[in-house]
Amino acid sequence: MSVETMKVSRGGHLASKSRREKTADILCFLLLILLGLIVLFPIYWIFRSSLMSNGELYAYPPAFVPPAWRLENYSETLKSFEYLKFLGNTMTILLPAVFGAVVTATMGGYAFARLRFRGKKLLFTLCVGSMLLPSMVTLIPLFIGWSKLGLVNTYWPLILPHFCGGGAFNIFLIRQFVKTVPRELDEAATIDGCGYFRILVYIIVPAIKAAMIVVGLLKFIELWNDLLQQVTYITRRDRYTLALGLNIFRGSFNDDWSSIMCATCLSFIPGIVFYLIGQRYFVEGIVMTGMKN
Amino acid sequence: MKKLLAIVLCLAMMLPVLALAEGDGRVHITYSFWGNQTEAESVQKALDAYNQMQDKVFVEPMQIPNEQYTETLVNYAIADQLPDCGMVNENSVLYFARNGVMADVSDMYAGEKLQPMDCITFKDGGTPVGYSSSNEILILYYNKDMFDAANEPYPSADKPYTWDEFVEVAKRLTFDENGKHPGEEGFNPEKIVQYGAFVNNWTWQMEVWALSNGGAWFSQDGKECLINSPEAIESIQKVADLALVEHVAPLNVIPEDNGVGVGIGSKTVAMTTDGTWRLGTDFPNLDINYGIAPLPMMREEVTICTSGLTGVFKGKHQQEAYDFVKWYTREESNWDALVLTGIWLPKSEYFYKTEEGINEWLGNEKYPYNKDFETGRKVLVDYTMNYAKPTCWYFTPNTQVTTNEILFTALQSVWSGERTAEDVINEIYPELCEAIVVE
Amino acid sequence: MTAISRKKRIRYNRSETQAAWLCLLPSVIGLTCITYLPMIASFALSLFSWNGLGDMKYIGLENYIRLFTRDTKFYGSLLTTLEYAGISVIGSIIYSMIIAMLLNRKVPARGFFRAVFYLPYVLPALAVYLGWKWLYDYNHGLFNYLIKLGGGTSVKFLDSSAMVTPSLALIAVWLSGNLIVIFLAGLQNVPRTYHEAAEIDGANAWQRFWKITIPCMTPIIFYNLLMSLVSNLQVITPALSLTQGGPGTGSYFMCFMLYTQAFKSHKYGYGSAIAVILFLIIAVFTGILFATSKSWIFYEGDDKE
Repeated sequence: MSVETMKVSRGGHLASKSRREKTADILCFLLLILLGLIVLFPIYWIFRSSLMSNGELYAYPPAFVPPAWRLENYSETLKSFEYLKFLGNTMTILLPAVFGAVVTATMGGYAFARLRFRGKKLLFTLCVGSMLLPSMVTLIPLFIGWSKLGLVNTYWPLILPHFCGGGAFNIFLIRQFVKTVPRELDEAATIDGCGYFRILVYIIVPAIKAAMIVVGLLKFIELWNDLLQQVTYITRRDRYTLALGLNIFRGSFNDDWSSIMCATCLSFIPGIVFYLIGQRYFVEGIVMTGMKN
Repeated sequence: MKKLLAIVLCLAMMLPVLALAEGDGRVHITYSFWGNQTEAESVQKALDAYNQMQDKVFVEPMQIPNEQYTETLVNYAIADQLPDCGMVNENSVLYFARNGVMADVSDMYAGEKLQPMDCITFKDGGTPVGYSSSNEILILYYNKDMFDAANEPYPSADKPYTWDEFVEVAKRLTFDENGKHPGEEGFNPEKIVQYGAFVNNWTWQMEVWALSNGGAWFSQDGKECLINSPEAIESIQKVADLALVEHVAPLNVIPEDNGVGVGIGSKTVAMTTDGTWRLGTDFPNLDINYGIAPLPMMREEVTICTSGLTGVFKGKHQQEAYDFVKWYTREESNWDALVLTGIWLPKSEYFYKTEEGINEWLGNEKYPYNKDFETGRKVLVDYTMNYAKPTCWYFTPNTQVTTNEILFTALQSVWSGERTAEDVINEIYPELCEAIVVE
Repeated sequence: MTAISRKKRIRYNRSETQAAWLCLLPSVIGLTCITYLPMIASFALSLFSWNGLGDMKYIGLENYIRLFTRDTKFYGSLLTTLEYAGISVIGSIIYSMIIAMLLNRKVPARGFFRAVFYLPYVLPALAVYLGWKWLYDYNHGLFNYLIKLGGGTSVKFLDSSAMVTPSLALIAVWLSGNLIVIFLAGLQNVPRTYHEAAEIDGANAWQRFWKITIPCMTPIIFYNLLMSLVSNLQVITPALSLTQGGPGTGSYFMCFMLYTQAFKSHKYGYGSAIAVILFLIIAVFTGILFATSKSWIFYEGDDKE
């Protein structure tokens, strides 16, 4: 759809589109293929490792293709890696947290980018300042706080913080994107009698949809990788997340590399799926921008 | 609308999480441990057994990933949320004990037939503060097929290799892609196909070589750091030189791998040193013909013993936890899951000093190394009794700083060949001395 | 100064202020309870000697004095962190800008390529580093095999203090799919009318890139620069999952040092002191970035007068 729109508009304007442009496109395509292969290679290598025995992994010279495709590695691994359960637990934390982060970050970013109020500069500085702090610094005070509230060993300490602005990075990202939206749009809406929240919902949100999806993705990955917090708050196996599961899986004797690689590959799947879903919205976002201009 | 639905669903999914533990009139206590799935299952089996045999106490497991175990436990201690009992990593036992978190268990085995061995008793200034749940010693493993292929006699169970013999044998077992051995004309150290030896260089395991070379890391009262003695320094350099100079061992700068899985299991290394737990955790899964022998010796015949401790933490259910730990750490309670699988060597003298005791485990047909009873007896039983010394964390405070952090990081430069052991040890020596002082 | 602020103050409008605070309410709660209060607590801790379980002892600036005068690894750690951040920030900004520009063109299978370059980022970081071990490993790694095949001598990618930082930074560049996506989203927000107008005026692709794309992208470049600088200065995962800080101080990043000292060695006060220093270092770099930003960022809908 978007590509289509682009073709029409470009073709219409410049009928004498040069051949050079086409060659450039082909060159870009080839370059993308080359870079893509380089980027994919380490992932292939991990996948290949998951299909080999430990002995084969350490053999010299290394095999580019698994000598025998040991798909049974996966069934072996799944016996001890409770994939679906860990995945369910992960999603229970991730979905509400990502939603909370996107909503509150959009609100915050909009306020910082567009609204004028006293104390904005200070608040913004404090907001940016909070990015500079490694998260582990606040781990212990926060842990004490949550345990005073009796919420250790529940998912709340892993979810609720994300309803509080969704992190300075994300507020900041939204702010940057709101700033790229032409101000005339909301001025026009104000003249039509829209309040600030209506402007946010009807003008800003559609315009920065792509950025909101990005925030969602970033949050998803951030939480996905946030082993430190998960280790601290979850200690019951039936509540384990994938990250914890993967870690436990390495266990106290971490040398079963082929199984670790299997578990690794399995843990890749949700991120990829989430990305593919997000990707669809990306395309929509492009259409929106296309219509706007 | 869909989004809203998703949120409602998510919240609904969380409800069971919030449900509190059901009241059943029993005292619920928590036991914390680390380990992988197999280990978790065997822990659960033991807990089930305990929960069934009495109806006053119900023990719940709390599983924490190995690499974050101690810090998580400390976080819980700071927030006053410690479990009632749990495994404690060796390097942190004295730290927990000294800070008044662990209950006194020194009378746990008073008057019992099964007395834990002295070398696995944690002592703070000479006073016992805890006992390891089992025993583990370091031994030499070798791949018999690889020795056969090189026409090399197996390492003897009676007389350990001297270090020079060890290096010589390792050279004969090392070859490059043209079949050349180290020291031969045309040998290419860049293209080695098979290595002769792998000495596990996890920091704590290195202490055995200092002892073997006639030195030590720390004095027996835990107050003095002796690691800068020429013997201790030389022992580190000798191990590093196996890879750097002799080319008989693979380079292992980040001491994470071990020679069992990496080496003799995959037939890239012919012999390796490691702990006895490998008999249970690794070898049953490896389809190889292996043998065991005492460690090679530099000057003195010695090995070190160690094993984690199951601690009782102070709290309102201290007595219940004490009773559970006493039950749990008996060999009998873990007999099938941990002793007969080869993961634990027994901790009580009875199982080393009496014929019946030895027969109960080593003579059992389920025991992984029962095929060669005589060798097993020499390498596991007699070696423990006659040559095992406690690892430094049994008597030196703050090993979570010294071995875990300072030495660990510093020695990496030695393994990589960037600096000599002497250079590195002299640089960190003042830090080590400062670290073991406790006020 | 005063003239400007007075001028601004007149323009504050009550309903606007209310709307703003309502929008920012969650963030304010978050900043207070989740960030700043715990942070103050932690920073206060840097004046104490505390092992977590025992009593706290007030020791004034002793932790800082020790850090700067007696710690043998502090300066090494600092240099390593800066080197890592430098290489990975510059590397990943250039890399992801190039990829984003390529992906913004009319190429076949764009969606597929976008997925390919983003893929590394959506994988669990810990697992990714474990996977790279099989490429970098001295004995069994692919890279060294290829080098030896070509007749070279093995390289200690992770096993020498000189090579380990760039080797890890390369993984960071590989992982920078998030920057690509943000750049892409930004490129798609560049009004096409500008390009079309310039094209009609006869500007070539190169000129359009420098005169239109880059200026329109400056807010996004700034964000990416800031984000990747801050996150790379706080690097810890590669050290935790792959190299454990060594060899030497080759991967002993400041965050790793903080973590090791506080959580592994139970020197919480000392760890807090490291956190304060790290915070200040990041603040200085961020401050520089912000201070220079006014002169090179172009905001289309800015509220500047």
